[in-house]
Amino acid sequence: MSAGGGGRPAFGQKSAEIVVAALFLLLGAIVVYDSVRLGARWGSDGPQAGYFPFYIALFVCVASAVNLVVALVKKGEDRAFVEVGQLKLVLSVLVPSFIYVALIAAMGIYVASAIFVAFFMRWLGKYPWWKVAAVSIGNSVAFFLIFEMWFKVPLPKGWFERLLGLD
Amino acid sequence: MDEIQSLLHGFAIALSFKNLALMFVGIILGVIIGVLPGLGGANGVAILLPLTFSMSPTSAIIMLSCIYWGALFGGAITSILFNIPGEPWSVATTFDGYPLAQKGRAGEALTAAFTSSFVGALVAVILITFLSPVVASFALEFGPPEFFAVYLLTFCAFVGMSKEPPFKTLASMMLGFALAAVGTDPVTGALRLTFGSTHLLTGFDFLVAVIGLFGIGEILLTLEEGLAFK
Repeated sequence: MSAGGGGRPAFGQKSAEIVVAALFLLLGAIVVYDSVRLGARWGSDGPQAGYFPFYIALFVCVASAVNLVVALVKKGEDRAFVEVGQLKLVLSVLVPSFIYVALIAAMGIYVASAIFVAFFMRWLGKYPWWKVAAVSIGNSVAFFLIFEMWFKVPLPKGWFERLLGLD
Repeated sequence: MDEIQSLLHGFAIALSFKNLALMFVGIILGVIIGVLPGLGGANGVAILLPLTFSMSPTSAIIMLSCIYWGALFGGAITSILFNIPGEPWSVATTFDGYPLAQKGRAGEALTAAFTSSFVGALVAVILITFLSPVVASFALEFGPPEFFAVYLLTFCAFVGMSKEPPFKTLASMMLGFALAAVGTDPVTGALRLTFGSTHLLTGFDFLVAVIGLFGIGEILLTLEEGLAFK
């Protein structure tokens, strides 16, 4: 089914459910913490700022605690959540995407997009260099024209645009 | 029946050749705008407003309303074909439209979405034409408690009708509420859950959540199923 790697399970359904339930519990706890900081009571002039999020987060916490317990005590055969080969494929896109997002903050969206597209075309697509350059640069130029020129939507820009005097 | 007379008068104006052509153009532009994620009916009307500057007021209204209707339907196209809802109101179309498309029956799903849009719009227009005086008096009594009751019913239905265990649905749904609470509190003006970040002042945009959850999630799922790089 998967293109590369083994059909070995990377981790099972059970551990995935435990991790997700724990993450939800953590997120719920963060919301509860901030709501209590703001005041989650009924003040003299109505509900305080944290009133609604506090009870919402209580729901999140209780529901994910139940999920956590259910996942922990669940018996029976543990199905594979994701296989090693599948996980490699997913990570091969997910990790560059994270780097892309970090690059947007550092050098603006247009340069980062050009690098991102070029990287994927060269690394996974194995296209010749002239095609890589044409598509990645053309893509950024087209988006620059559409968003900055025609729709007047300012997107994050970096040193490159400043160098060209476009920012 | 004053309404019928007004309606027929309206049709007489709308059914001229020029206005029919404008409807055609408006619907096509609207569908294009609806397909683009993030551009909804209201944005589309706003962006294409300059097109109508040279028209008569009636033609302009006809064209803009057609753009709006077209965008309403266009949102269903991406929901069915890519499982990415273009607009908030086409999220429900992904539930059964996308599975149909996966079975190779995308045409049927699109036809069903279009037909139901058409029937719904027609019924709504007829209802509004004849019932708006009655509805107007009733609408004033539809206050916060009634809205709360309707929303509560909606979200209880989510928990009840989901195929997943109810507590998982509850946890994800409530996390969605918590995400919506990020930003400036509309009542007191206090900053909720921003933790000092200026980017979170306005909260999480619906579009960001949809592209992240549906768009990127769908791409990763496609990869996992090994459909790419072959």
